[in-house]
Amino acid sequence: MSPITLAVVATLAPAATALLLLVLFPLRHRGMPAAWVTLLGSAISLAASCKLLVDRIGGAADERAVVPWIEERGRAMAEIGVQLDGVSLPMLVIVGVVALCVQLFSVAYMHDEPPRAFGRYFTLHALFLFSMNVVVVAPNLLQLFAGWELVGLTSYLLIGFYFAKPSAAQAAVKAFWMTKLADMGFLFGLLVLYVNTGSFEWTAPTSTVVATWVSALLFVAVVGKSAQFPLHIWLPDAMEGPTPVSALLHAATMVAAGVFLVVRADPLFAQAPATREVMLWIGAVTAVFAAGLALVQRDIKKVLAFSTCSQLGYMVAALGAGNAFAGFFHLGTHAFFKALLFLAAGSVIHAVHSNDLGDMGGLRKRLPITTAAFVIGALSLAGVPGFAGFFSKDLVLTALEGRGGGAPWVMLLAAAFLTAFYMGRVLIKAFWGELSQKAEHAHEGGLSMTGPLVVLMIPSFASGFLGGWLAGQVKAEYHLHLGLTPVLASVMAVAGLVAAVVVFGRGGQAPGARILEKLDAWSLVDRTWATAYRLGLLGVASIAGWIDRYVIDGLMNLTGWSAIEGGASARRLQTGLVRDYALLVVVGVVVLALMGVLR
Amino acid sequence: MSHLLAITVAAPAIAAAVLLAIPATARTAIRVVSLVGATVSFLGSLQVAALYDRGQGGLQLLDSFPVVPSMGIYLKLAVDGWGVALLILTGVIIVTGVLASWSVGKRDKEFFLLLLVLVAGVFGVFVAQDLFVFFLFYEIAVLPMYLLIGIWGSSHQVPAGGPFKFVWKRFEVGSKEYAAMKLTLMLLVGSAAILVAMFLLWGHSGARTFDLQVLEGTKFPIHIQHLVFPLVWLGFGSLAGVFPFHTWSPDGHASAPTAVSMLHAGVLMKLGAFGVLRIGMVLVPDAAQWWAPIVGAVAVINVLYGALCAASQKDLKYIVAYSSVSHMGVVMLGVATVNAAGWNGAVYQMVAHGIMTGLFFALVGLVYERAHTRAIAKMGGFAHVMPVVAGFFTLACLSSLGLPGTAGFVAEFMVFAGAAKGASAWWAIPGVLGAFVTAVYVLRACKAIFWGPAPQGEYAQLQDVQRTEWAAPLVLGSLLVVFGFWPRLLLDFIDVASQGYLTRLPALALAQLGAP
Repeated sequence: MSPITLAVVATLAPAATALLLLVLFPLRHRGMPAAWVTLLGSAISLAASCKLLVDRIGGAADERAVVPWIEERGRAMAEIGVQLDGVSLPMLVIVGVVALCVQLFSVAYMHDEPPRAFGRYFTLHALFLFSMNVVVVAPNLLQLFAGWELVGLTSYLLIGFYFAKPSAAQAAVKAFWMTKLADMGFLFGLLVLYVNTGSFEWTAPTSTVVATWVSALLFVAVVGKSAQFPLHIWLPDAMEGPTPVSALLHAATMVAAGVFLVVRADPLFAQAPATREVMLWIGAVTAVFAAGLALVQRDIKKVLAFSTCSQLGYMVAALGAGNAFAGFFHLGTHAFFKALLFLAAGSVIHAVHSNDLGDMGGLRKRLPITTAAFVIGALSLAGVPGFAGFFSKDLVLTALEGRGGGAPWVMLLAAAFLTAFYMGRVLIKAFWGELSQKAEHAHEGGLSMTGPLVVLMIPSFASGFLGGWLAGQVKAEYHLHLGLTPVLASVMAVAGLVAAVVVFGRGGQAPGARILEKLDAWSLVDRTWATAYRLGLLGVASIAGWIDRYVIDGLMNLTGWSAIEGGASARRLQTGLVRDYALLVVVGVVVLALMGVLR
Repeated sequence: MSHLLAITVAAPAIAAAVLLAIPATARTAIRVVSLVGATVSFLGSLQVAALYDRGQGGLQLLDSFPVVPSMGIYLKLAVDGWGVALLILTGVIIVTGVLASWSVGKRDKEFFLLLLVLVAGVFGVFVAQDLFVFFLFYEIAVLPMYLLIGIWGSSHQVPAGGPFKFVWKRFEVGSKEYAAMKLTLMLLVGSAAILVAMFLLWGHSGARTFDLQVLEGTKFPIHIQHLVFPLVWLGFGSLAGVFPFHTWSPDGHASAPTAVSMLHAGVLMKLGAFGVLRIGMVLVPDAAQWWAPIVGAVAVINVLYGALCAASQKDLKYIVAYSSVSHMGVVMLGVATVNAAGWNGAVYQMVAHGIMTGLFFALVGLVYERAHTRAIAKMGGFAHVMPVVAGFFTLACLSSLGLPGTAGFVAEFMVFAGAAKGASAWWAIPGVLGAFVTAVYVLRACKAIFWGPAPQGEYAQLQDVQRTEWAAPLVLGSLLVVFGFWPRLLLDFIDVASQGYLTRLPALALAQLGAP
């Protein structure tokens, strides 16, 4: 098969799965068969992606194929197709591997759901993989936008999977609205690009002014999708969805689409230093802010959710520093270890039936594989030397050296310490110490749960060594050097873990946790948005509704009313009495006569 | 077939005539005859699409009968690319509409009869190539609505208030009689404006003819054009829901029975926009280009203001009705761009919105029939008992907010791109904002109706979609996705027409300036 055909198969196999399950609803309603069909579709997609990657390692060239999609005056105004290069192919495989692992994990994790819900869950997974692949292989920004919105849709439907629960329903619409609000930036960016270049290509030659506008507008969408300050508030709420969904969409792949977009549109961003400056700061602020909040969460998923915000901040900061490769590399390693952490957390939740860290403790005695998975994930996330996260985080930090007066670099180093610290906290609280009451009867799930954990452990540890190869794919420079930054980063990681053992080993509290909790910076941002929604949108809406009913329509009614009332008044002239008419005739004659005389 | 267009237009009218001969007690026969009439038209419109040569473009499948030759009135039927797309839309909506009204209880013979007459008028407008006949068909399409709402509609109360509170003494605001009367009167005032414009064109055409092709080739004096365009814009615009003449729409659509709302919002409102495009933009292009910024500005009010009004509603039908006001604003915005992207988008949005709102009203009708309420506050958790309705409703919501992969996205995107490229690029901003507000109100409604804990008490046993009720969701829902992923199915037709009409515009505008 030609590379293009393979890419089309990789993209459309999950779409075919989703369509099949939508149309053949008896299959979907049976539950388990739906899972097998979905797994098959994902496996075909992954196999095709792997074949493409292997061919590329064997020296295959970039490929691109497009067909007209929307036309105007007989020419294609917009095209859809596939683009295979050093950015899309590694991403395709990363997405495929994580998706397949998560789906397999879900078979056991979602086992207790009623068959219909189970089938719906897997249908949505197939739809998600299709949408994500549309983003990854996109040859232009318009197709990327289409896929971008579709992953937003699946995210909405999967967060709201437990739709009977009001909190899940609220979280789903909130996620959709926040990202949709930001996506207006994407749409405006597309329009500006189209008006100025006549196309939706990120390689279209353009001026600095246009590039700045377009990149800034696109970045607004990135802030929404990749949960950066101040549009990050939807991500922790998104944890209302099933845990495997959080692993796939809200940690490894979908939220990273924002970073992927910037990597893709690098030619545009490279022309816009002003946009990059903003990205640098927003990334750094988010990294520290979210890391601090991760420290005080009681819910294990919320810790990981804030951690995702924080790590996405690293990526955005790297992009802002002008090193797209560093951001992309961290995206790749993060996808593996964060998916691993979330699935391990899912395994824990499945075992103790609670999200609360207080209900956990000593789990290492009951869940050895899960513990191993979580430890590897945590060490990688913390950036302990040798683990995948170390290499990519180091690259990000190196890229930041000397940027923005050095402050972002210091902030990210501080965040590195905090990361190790909060992950140490979770490790100690959940897996070490006394066996908690709820953990008494905990046991590992079946092979379909432990299998994906074991598979993901490998890249979570080892994918860091692929940095040089990946850099070659995207023609970036990469060499590991022993400078100040890697040493400091390692020190921060180890220091954070040691500090966690010292502080939490004896059941202590994080220093400053009180202040962080009291400050409640979180709900401050959240409440600001809620107020903006209620007053700004619903308030204005109800004013508009009132005006329409009582003023605009009132005027229409007034017109009708005037006609009726006017008619009723005029009717009085028709009294039906002969003497009245006779009087009028006389008056008329007199008036006419007078007019004649006066003339 | 040489008389393909005539057959397509006449089939519903013939079915209506047959209904006259059928006793009112033969309930099944009435429905079958109506369905046959509708289906013949639908198949006819598909055949039109199959026969239409996209490479050649222009008017095709010409068919002509003399009516009043002395006044230059001919029943001249032919179809352009826009017409093809809109014929298909009309065919789809009437077939699904008939199936959705299968359970009409009261005076069903008269109901189907009026429905068929109405739709014959709609088909006629899209293919009429004689202004007089165009107008005749337009009136045939508009007038049955008075009876359809007045007899089969439903009433509710609107509390008195506001600066014009005293009118409540005269009108029962919110009742079906009020809604039917308001709709008819407002549209008739529009018709009066159109009639004046029509005779102005006839009188100044030189040839004393209503033939659209002749009128298209005529260069009207600029002062006549400036008289005609606003008359056409506001005359047809009242049916397209142009602000501030949209207020018949929320009350009318809320009071109308299911199939009538489907047809009215789905197809009839398009007649208005089609009129502005086909008569206003094409026949008086110089004035049209002068007026276009104003048309666009008002359209933008429609988009944003309509969306905000929708966000404030608590009655499900009103939400959908206001969303039509907002989405028809997108159509008018596309019309006002006077470029190919915008016009393609406008016609595509007519189809996309027609299908989407048809689906909305069909589903709302289903919910209303079962739950006997339209108040959103009383609903909740319906997805537990009617998952199919919930699924399709969500799909309609997604098309409404312009999600890629649905027809709504393709249409809105083309309109916004056309607007951004047009003379007033800022139009695109409120347009996109309107799409965001739409996301807020449709998903809020969706959550309130379908999500949440399983319903208790009287709503615990609500039935999901049954038998003929499947037709509308299944057909309209799939079309939204098909047209979303594969826009060229329709765009190939639409684009060739936009191209054809646009190529003539600059020539006329230049001639006005005295250029060679």
